[in-house]
Amino acid sequence: MSDVLRSVWENTYGLLVDDGQLAIGAIAALAVTWLIARASSEQVRDNAGWVLLALVIVVVLANLYRAGRSALRHADR
Amino acid sequence: MDLTTLAIAATPSFIASAVEFVEATTIVLAVGLTRGWRAPLVGTFLAGLTLAAIVAVFGVALVTIVPRNVLLGLVGTLLLLFGLRWLRKAVLRFAGIVALHDEDEIYRREVAELRSQGLSRTEWDWIGTVVAYKAVLLEGIEVAFIVIAFGAAGVAAMNAAIAGALAAGVMVVALAAALRHPLTAVPENWMKFGVGVMLSSFGVFWSAEGVGAEWPGDAAAIPLIIAVYLVVSWLAVRMLRGLLPQGARVAARNV
Repeated sequence: MSDVLRSVWENTYGLLVDDGQLAIGAIAALAVTWLIARASSEQVRDNAGWVLLALVIVVVLANLYRAGRSALRHADR
Repeated sequence: MDLTTLAIAATPSFIASAVEFVEATTIVLAVGLTRGWRAPLVGTFLAGLTLAAIVAVFGVALVTIVPRNVLLGLVGTLLLLFGLRWLRKAVLRFAGIVALHDEDEIYRREVAELRSQGLSRTEWDWIGTVVAYKAVLLEGIEVAFIVIAFGAAGVAAMNAAIAGALAAGVMVVALAAALRHPLTAVPENWMKFGVGVMLSSFGVFWSAEGVGAEWPGDAAAIPLIIAVYLVVSWLAVRMLRGLLPQGARVAARNV
């Protein structure tokens, strides 16, 4: 039974965090967007959703590039 | 229930749940065809009860008790993390860095493992029950999460998301029962990619609203967000294919 519970926990955690850096990056992007939405004018706040999207895309591309470099190193060995 | 609610909650819930049901069905089929049907069906039934309890407790509590803004922020953030994980894996698959999902291979491996464990004719087949329970519960947790996430916008959305997931379940189980073989013809890799894009899009939309940011045109921004993710994913696959020469296409573990 503990094996099933452990699997459930690992699966639930894995649902959200496959790569820690990606998850932390997304949370950081959200934090930056929250700051922008709080501190800036109404006009900026009305478009702040796109800021989050841009930040998330940068995080994703950086993460994928790192993954590609890592795979390349593994293939070279 | 209007058509927009159906489209926003039921369609992604249907597609995402179908992928999970296909994966769970492969394992249950492997157990049933190898060790007999009683034990895996009991395991599946028990897992179904567990999942119903999860959705009833968390889903209903979320949409009825938690304030909408807090809910959007919470569910949006979880959806964003969940979606990015799917999207990342899908891009790595299409770039040739991670092996494509192969339901036939998973089925063969599972059957070989189940056969190697032997079968007692006199006792209850606990192995069959536990394997089926675990598979259905683990894949089902993802279905439950998808339903809760897409249904978080309100009771109508929750009903639509549940309807989408149930329709996917009925369709997949009926097809598997008719074919008695894993559903290898289902384009799972493309569906996983589509689900990753949809989850990430809804996740970024709702989480932004949750932290007080807004979108020009409100929900009309969602198709644009989806388009941006599609373009970026395509560019990412090209970037990775350029980065890795043909010979380097390996199923690297630590990516």
